[in-house]
This record gives sequence, C-alpha cells and structure tokens, in this order.
Amino acid sequence: MKAGGFWQQAKEIARKDLLVEGRAGEALYITIPFGAVALMLIPLAIGTDRPLLAEVGPGMFLAVALLFGMLVAFRQTAADTPPQRELLTLLGTDPAAKFVGRTATSTLLLLAFEIVLVPVTILLYNPGRIPNWPWLILVMVLLAGGLALVGTLAGSVTTGLRTRNTLTPLLVAPLSMPLLLGSAQVVEALRREESILPWITLLATMNLAVAVIGVVTARPLEESSR
Amino acid sequence: MSERSYRALSLVAVVAVAVGFGFAMAAPPERIQGEFAKIMFVHVPSAWLAFLAFGVTMIGGAVWLMKKTPIWDRVAASSAEVGVFFTALALLTGMIWGYPVWGTFWDWSDARMMSTAIMFFVYVGYLALRRSIPDPETRARRSAILGIIAFVQVPIVYLSVTLFRTLHQGATVVRADAPIDPVFLRALMINLGAFTIVYAAFMAWRVRLARLEDELEETEAVADFDIAGSGITAPNLGEVPGDV
Repeated sequence: MKAGGFWQQAKEIARKDLLVEGRAGEALYITIPFGAVALMLIPLAIGTDRPLLAEVGPGMFLAVALLFGMLVAFRQTAADTPPQRELLTLLGTDPAAKFVGRTATSTLLLLAFEIVLVPVTILLYNPGRIPNWPWLILVMVLLAGGLALVGTLAGSVTTGLRTRNTLTPLLVAPLSMPLLLGSAQVVEALRREESILPWITLLATMNLAVAVIGVVTARPLEESSR
Repeated sequence: MSERSYRALSLVAVVAVAVGFGFAMAAPPERIQGEFAKIMFVHVPSAWLAFLAFGVTMIGGAVWLMKKTPIWDRVAASSAEVGVFFTALALLTGMIWGYPVWGTFWDWSDARMMSTAIMFFVYVGYLALRRSIPDPETRARRSAILGIIAFVQVPIVYLSVTLFRTLHQGATVVRADAPIDPVFLRALMINLGAFTIVYAAFMAWRVRLARLEDELEETEAVADFDIAGSGITAPNLGEVPGDV
C-alpha cells in the first residue's frame, strides 16, 4: 500500500478489510445467520402471541441489530496482528485514516446485516405497515454508522488484549444505548405519526461526536498498542 | 501522608457521617413523602460525589497524558472506583425511595435513572479495561483516553432532567429560587460535606493502596528477572588454580 493522502489511506484500509472479510466470511456466514436465529428464539421465549410479536417486532430487530451488530463491528478480521500494525506504522499510515477506513467497512457490513434481518423480522413478526417507513432507511444507516464508530473505537482501546472479545462488548453496549433509544423512538414516533426530528438529531449527533472522538484519539491509542 | 494522617482523615469522615446522619434524622418528615424523603440525604450527595469522582478521573487521565507521572494514573483509577461505588449507592437509594413514592423500583421511561445506569456500566467497563492490561504505561494511556471519553456521560446525566421531562424531579438545589425548605437544605448541605470528606478518605486510602500495589509489582518484576537467563550460573571468582 502506498502512503497516499488521508482519504486514499482510509480507502485502502477499507478495501483491505473488505477483502479480508470477503475471504474469511466471518460476518456473512457466521454473525448474520446467528442474528437470524436470535430473532427466531425470542418468540419462543416471550410466547407466540401474534399481536404481541407484531408490536415488539421492530424493537426486537433493533435489539438484535445492536447486540449482534457488535460482533460484526469487532469481528476478528478487523483486528490487526502486531506485525500488521507495525507494517502499517512503517508505511506511514495515519491512525485516523485507519479509524475512518475500518469504520467504513464495519458500516457497510452492518448495513448488510440489517438488510438481511429486515425481511426475517417482517416474516417472523409481521409488524404491519409503519407510516412513512422510508425514514427507517435513514435510521438503519445512522444505527449502522454509530455502531461501527463505537465498535471501532472500543476495538482500538482493547487492541492486543487477551480479554478483547469479552471486554469490548462491555464497553460498547452502554455507549451505544443512545443509538438504540433514538432508533426505537423513531419507530414509535412514526407509528404515532409524530415528529422524528429530535431522535434523528440524537442519532446524528451521536455519530458525529464518536467520529470526532475516534479521529482525535486515534494516534494516542495507536501509540499505546505498540 | 503519615499513617496518623490517614487514620485522622478516616476518623473525621466517620464523625462527619454521624453528624450528617443526626441532621438527617432531626429534619421533620416531608409533607407528602413523609420519612421516605430522608433518603435524599444519602441519594443526592452520592450522585454529586459520583460526578466529582468521574471529573477527577477525567482530570487525572488528562494530566497523565501530559506529564506521564504515575500518581495521576493512580488518582484517576482510584477516583473511578470510588465513583462507581457512589453511583451504585445513588442508584440503590433511588430505587429504595422509588418503590414507596413512585410505586416502582425502576422506571424505564425515566431519563435520569437510565442515563445514570448507563454511566455506571461505562465506568464498570473502565475498571474492567484497567484490570485487563498488565503493562502500566499501556494501561495508564488507554484508561486515560477512556476516562476522558466516558466523562461525556456526566453532563448527559446532569442535564437529563432538563432535556427530558420524565418522572425524576428537575434541578432543585442549584436553582436561584430553590423550592426546598431551609431545614432540608441545611441537612442536605451538611451531608454533602460529610460525603465529600468520605470521598477524600476513600481516595487517600485507595491511592495509597495503588502505590503499594505498583511497588509490589515492580519488586516482583525485578525478583523474577534472571540476568542472562536462569541457564547460566555466575562464574566462581574464589580460588583460581595455580594462583599464588
């Protein structure tokens, strides 16, 4: 990889991550089916009352997207080994570009994850038509982006730790609660045909804030992983 | 600080808590909530001290990033631990108060309760991160960054009652027209002072313990380190054959 400009570096990192993920298929063949199975298990736990399932369906989709989306965000294929980290450092890769590139890949994978879960949720829960539903596409994008940002940031904090796989969800879950809250409230507001602007603003602000924090802290976190 | 200073500070903390308890018990029952309102004398200072503790964690982390002095990492870590304790106390006393007054231990729609619980788990994550990193410098750097990021939660929790009109009452004490009886306000302020002294005592002991832990870690690291590996024995420099 040549040391180009910031965006060129971010693009190359994203491309590399997508390539690795394409070869390993960790998100596609493991996490996505796992999420679909979770959506099937929930009705068995809470009962098969159809009106109840239709009511809770969108919420279950969001909860599964968040909890299993975490597995997509800090998948093993997004973790660099020490030699890979050293190589990227020697190539002069900007840590912030690495953060942006990795987040971009995770966002794409999380969007794919959500796109697969939507029909599964509709088929299993039959939630009915939500008024102005195209707004939910924006919610899905903001949820995927936010979760990718928080996941990548937490992944940077836990780089190289033996407890990475268990510690990262503990860091990500509470920090991503505003994403779940905002997304769920958009669904409720659409159902009641109320304004969704405050909740979209919350999601967008969360995305922006974590993006800024991620870019600013990228270098010190990179230095601590050497 | 000498051993005597630590003990004196602890004694002052115990006396302060006893005085605070006395003022709380002497306050009359609240008109509507009765004796349950007195939980406020523990709940409110706990929440405020948690804010202070997490603020100290953020400052400790930021100063460590600038100066790289171990003391600031110890201060940040100790304050986070004490802050988690006070947050747990605030949540617990809030729930105990909530059951008789609100009719439920936990209200899912309440912004203050939810945001406080999130803050609690964020700092539990901070402590878990510290325990996961054996190298002191890496641990200090990463937890300093997380401590700064995590502090974002504090203004969110504080402003949650203003931003969202939910069950928890809004700001009371800091308002210019504080709608609180002077007797209650006095007892609350005395308890706030007592809890602040308790925080100082906890911090003094915890920072001291952290320093001792670091010293022990260093001692063990030196003891475990064999020069040139344990497979090589030091040459015998005693009698040399043929030496006169």
